[in-house]
Amino acid sequence: MSNNIGDIIDNDVLFVIGSNTTETHPIIGLRMREAIKRGARLIVADPRRIKLVDDAVIWLRHRPGTDAALINGICHVILSEGLADEQFIAERTEGFAAFSSAVADCTPEWAEKITGVPAADIVEAARLFAGADRAGTYYTMGITQHSSGTSNVLALANLVLATGNIGKPGAGLNPLRGQNNVQGASDMGCNPLNLPGYQRVDNDEARKRIGEIWGHEPKAEPGLTATEMTPAMENGAIAGMWIMGENPVLSDPNMSHARRAFEKLDFLLVQDIFLTETAELADVVLPAASFAEKNGTFTNTERRIQRIRRAVRPPGEARDDLTIINLVTARMGYDHIVPLSRGFTNRLYNEGGYVTAPPLCDEVFEEMGRVWPAIAGINYDRLEHGGLQWPCPHENHPGTPVLFEDGFPIGKAIFTPVEWQGPREMPDAEYPLYLSTGRVLAQYHTGTMTRRSQILEDADNGPYVEISPEDAESLGIDNGDTVRAVTRRGDITLPALVTERVNKGMVFIPFHYREAAANLLTNDALDPVCKIPEAKVCAVRLEKVSNISNMAELDR
Amino acid sequence: MSTVTLHIDGNEIVAEKGLTILEVAGRAGIAIPTLCYVKGKPTDKQCDVCVVEITDYARHGLKASLDTDGLFRACSTLALDGMDIQTGSKAATTFRQDRLAAISKTHFGDCKAPCNLTCPGQINVQGYIAHVAKGEYEEALRLVMERNPVPFSVGRVCPRFCETRCRRILVDDPIHINHLKRFVADWCMTHEINLNIPREKSTGKRIAVIGGGPAGLTAAYFLTRKGHDVTIFEAAPKLGGALRYGFPEYKIPKDVLDYEINTILRMGISIRLNQNWGKDFTIQDLTEQGYDATFIGIGACVDEPLEIPCSRKPHVYQAMEFLRMINEGKEIEFGKSAAVIGGNNTAMEVARSLLRKGVDSVTIIYPRAKIEMPAHQRNIREAERDGVEFLLMASPIEICGKSTEDSRLRLDLIRMKLGEPDKRGRREPIPIPGSTKKMYVDTIVSSLGQAAVKEHLEGGEIESQIELSPKYTIVANPRSSQTNIDGVFAGGDAVTGPKSVIQAVVAARRAAENIHAYVMNADKEPAESRFNFTRGKTFDDVDLKNFEGIAVKLREKMPERPAETAVQDFDEVKLGYNEKMARREAERCLSCGCTAFDRCDLKRHDIDYNININKTGMGVKPFYKIDNSHPAITVDPNKCIFCFRCVRYCEYDALEVRAQKVVQKGQPFGVEIHFKDNCVSCGKCVEYCSTGALNKKNRIVPIQAEEVKAVPSTCPYCGTGCQIELKVKGNTVMEIGADLEQGPNFGDLCVKGRFGHNFIHHPDRLRTPMIRRRKSGSLEPASWAEALDFIAVKFRQILEDKGADALAGLSSARCTNEENYAFQKFFRAGIGTNNVDHCARY
Repeated sequence: MSNNIGDIIDNDVLFVIGSNTTETHPIIGLRMREAIKRGARLIVADPRRIKLVDDAVIWLRHRPGTDAALINGICHVILSEGLADEQFIAERTEGFAAFSSAVADCTPEWAEKITGVPAADIVEAARLFAGADRAGTYYTMGITQHSSGTSNVLALANLVLATGNIGKPGAGLNPLRGQNNVQGASDMGCNPLNLPGYQRVDNDEARKRIGEIWGHEPKAEPGLTATEMTPAMENGAIAGMWIMGENPVLSDPNMSHARRAFEKLDFLLVQDIFLTETAELADVVLPAASFAEKNGTFTNTERRIQRIRRAVRPPGEARDDLTIINLVTARMGYDHIVPLSRGFTNRLYNEGGYVTAPPLCDEVFEEMGRVWPAIAGINYDRLEHGGLQWPCPHENHPGTPVLFEDGFPIGKAIFTPVEWQGPREMPDAEYPLYLSTGRVLAQYHTGTMTRRSQILEDADNGPYVEISPEDAESLGIDNGDTVRAVTRRGDITLPALVTERVNKGMVFIPFHYREAAANLLTNDALDPVCKIPEAKVCAVRLEKVSNISNMAELDR
Repeated sequence: MSTVTLHIDGNEIVAEKGLTILEVAGRAGIAIPTLCYVKGKPTDKQCDVCVVEITDYARHGLKASLDTDGLFRACSTLALDGMDIQTGSKAATTFRQDRLAAISKTHFGDCKAPCNLTCPGQINVQGYIAHVAKGEYEEALRLVMERNPVPFSVGRVCPRFCETRCRRILVDDPIHINHLKRFVADWCMTHEINLNIPREKSTGKRIAVIGGGPAGLTAAYFLTRKGHDVTIFEAAPKLGGALRYGFPEYKIPKDVLDYEINTILRMGISIRLNQNWGKDFTIQDLTEQGYDATFIGIGACVDEPLEIPCSRKPHVYQAMEFLRMINEGKEIEFGKSAAVIGGNNTAMEVARSLLRKGVDSVTIIYPRAKIEMPAHQRNIREAERDGVEFLLMASPIEICGKSTEDSRLRLDLIRMKLGEPDKRGRREPIPIPGSTKKMYVDTIVSSLGQAAVKEHLEGGEIESQIELSPKYTIVANPRSSQTNIDGVFAGGDAVTGPKSVIQAVVAARRAAENIHAYVMNADKEPAESRFNFTRGKTFDDVDLKNFEGIAVKLREKMPERPAETAVQDFDEVKLGYNEKMARREAERCLSCGCTAFDRCDLKRHDIDYNININKTGMGVKPFYKIDNSHPAITVDPNKCIFCFRCVRYCEYDALEVRAQKVVQKGQPFGVEIHFKDNCVSCGKCVEYCSTGALNKKNRIVPIQAEEVKAVPSTCPYCGTGCQIELKVKGNTVMEIGADLEQGPNFGDLCVKGRFGHNFIHHPDRLRTPMIRRRKSGSLEPASWAEALDFIAVKFRQILEDKGADALAGLSSARCTNEENYAFQKFFRAGIGTNNVDHCARY
């Protein structure tokens, strides 16, 4: 997030697109509702009638995969009606002309044809957004998990720049991170292109500086992204993998493809807290500690670095991941991958016995601060009574709740013209419906944690596919009927939920359930830039399997 | 900022203008009780507990609004310049007492369960049963060991006072509580659980404990926990006292006992064995050696002699002497028939041991009826089941008579009858003249009770000064546990004569508290308040409506060996529950006690204001059914005091609380607590319920005196980074809360954040490394060393054969920054590839 969570209540207008915030980020959703109670006005853009729609003054119900067209349409109105923040554009941006001509043809009428949103609504949304002193934009995977994910984000960035809604409180471009430390994992350079702190591997200066700290200079050639690893495993280019705390077999789009790829590996090491679907395929499984059993930091969606603390002992012989990394490091004979307490070294003794020193997270953090100067001002003492938002370059720096207030790191922000491209797979005669996937409130991701909490299971109804009353009627499906959802990649069987939450022509399936895994259906087509898979839209067919409720009645 | 200056309880306070008296006092650290206050959300249905006295109110333009002149609600009265406020005046206190009594009048429930209240050890019985029901056996045992360090033994021999008061009796059978205690102890032994019982910082004080039986071990355990340096002096070659030498192996197996004792000793307790007090050392010696205090826990192992002619003959034994020989494994020939004189618990064990020693016929002789025997009826039944015979209403006269050829002893008996009732109505047995009877046996054992001391204490001057009771036990003050000698304490059977193990444990625990206060020269921790709401003190008081809808489910039988084979050896008779049985039995618990015990504001204020609810009244019958329909929250409207905190804490306006009518003093009738469809189960309402009307379904263990740590952390679900508090007891996360002052969530959580943490202690958690030793084989448990070697070999092989880029790492948004950093560094600076990514894209 460019801005922070505390800011939300100060927004005059909230633009929520591709985010079912009240279900996926309930506390942020709560803050949005507080802002609305205080007079803020909400624009929701979502193909589904999510809960936030109830509080919205405008609901833009666009077709799946048409986000960029919708946003460009809004931008067109803003420019053509003279609603743009010209001073901001002049002083702080570049490339406006190219952007302006790129959206010149994107009239509301043009956008209506693509998105299905009435042109008048697009105009109204544009006026409302551009007319606000402070308008915040919020999005999640509904924007990014598309083959055009990068374009979608750039389109939003154009909108935010054109209205000057960045670099000030109560506004901003705010992706909401879906997982607790996805921000931190990215920050720390668990990325084939970036070293810690978004320093690119092909940046010679950065590589040299970090190489000096590490005592080993990293390679200049970028590695493979997770989504590229799957085909590389299949063709044998990757022979060994180490997976730390992830369950890609269930969370990857087109999961049967992913499973085949993992089975081809020579060696698979998985460390996790449960025997996940991925761990079941491993050659070695190491028992890890949960968040309650270790010390360290997470970084939340507003770039706030926060402590977690060891509250209980891990079960059995389980160990925290940092210790495990150090143990493997020692066995591999590498020196000081994990910074150790002064005076400690890992060393080999006798035949195969090892002495390994316990790594201390605050010392690891200290090295992180040297590698990435933006967190150099943060240390465990400062985090004792609450988190700090990076950048925080020195010890007296208070942290940065709002980014870009004093300028952009690259000088001026750049408009990037975006041309709308539809999803890779569109409904056709064989697969006539759009399928989108997402989360529900009481579950989380692949359910390894939530599905083991009885209360959450009780609060949740299990897998289902949402279908509109019109489509249900034409397919002869009643609420609760068992249906089979079929795509080009696979099929699953699950109950139907007939609801007006989805429009005619679209169905929705939450992806948490291994018994009806939505990712057997989804498309692993990738965005060409950031390699994100298109999990949010593909073409699907629904078949009625049987009418269980009627069968039950017959039995009686 | 403009300010006001005012006086509260005589202190001059300068405060921000525009705040209420309650807020100003709170910021100044002056506590004013309230049951309904929610910051920033005033209510028109005030509890009126927060009243304060403002004597000069008219000067500030205030008008009296309450019945008592001069009293005002602190929560809704603004603090004004020059005010003189008394928060604890007599008028205010009386008013609050009246309010609290009125509010308590309709509150219906049990603070503590009857089992808890009945247990002499004051153990949180409902708590450990609930832990068992949740599968948290380690925590269950830790909870028992908060108050009883010998659960293995007590779980086998306890008289089970608790079970007699179990409310489930009113439905079907009481819970088999003691079997559950034994189960958790045995489970932790088989699973080699180290409880890691915490020990406080060393005090440098040295305590001598004389006697290594249940009392001595208990005193040593609690004193060690407090940080003292304890040495046990034991006369026998092994520790255990009555547990080892009094109970035969079939009751307490020696290996179990050894394990139990070792668990205690592992905390760091010194032991001196074969040290006879009075012979090998004296209390004077201990003082000279620098011990700061002494605890005497020598038990009662001096037999009351059998005072009849020829009782010193061979083959005539006394009970403790006999049991000691048995337990030491001495090979003695007891013949074919035996008589046991006496009807106490020890007599039962003697008789059953004799059967196991191959004696065909064992008869217990007792001068009264069976029902009058001091032995526990359960022990009598077990003896009978083994085949012990009973000769009742008979008394021994002498053993001098000539025996027959095939027996060694002739015991002459006389029949007894009950005499006229004495003043207290008790009928003493008196011999029936001329009714003598001869009994021919090979062995006689008398069990007529035990004393602690034979005539007087030997040793030195101090020993001879220690006051003894007429029953030859040591006299100790029941409150201070101290004998008449300064710094010398005593407890257990040595003071009371023979009692149950748990009673010795309780006495020794109390003594340990007293010794701690004595050596630290500190005040004793105040005793826990006996204040208790109850749904009925006796079974007769309990309204049967409480149990409506509870289906009959009989208690789980303890598996045991059939008597025919059990008497052939000394192996344990009762085999113990398996896990499923224990879970089933624990799930029968009606959970009488309140799970809000640790957070109830009503109870806290009632105690602070000395409300005697036995006089002023409390709810006596259930008007409302307990509502379990919400997925996360159990609602008990019987406990609702209509404070509306839940409604006002709810951020979603998802809660409705109504009453059909509210009477003059604010007591509600016809209460309805209803969650609307828009409830998102965030659970904030439960967190701030003033009583136990709302309860979290996953927090069924009541927390009483146990220490709970609040560990601040970050929620591991979505990217919001809500700050949470893990409430930890022992090694278990009991529940999750959030600090109202800590951002970004400021006390708010979602259903996952508050209720989604059961995975931490889930039995599916991986506990050991696993390896697939053959490519097509299955994953098998392995040691860390084997797993790590295997990994290193495979990684190196791929590196050599295919190069660094044939390896790849996938890290996780679930792991910490430090772990992610180290992980990518491993691949970049170790392996030498940039093939490292995480799951941000899905």
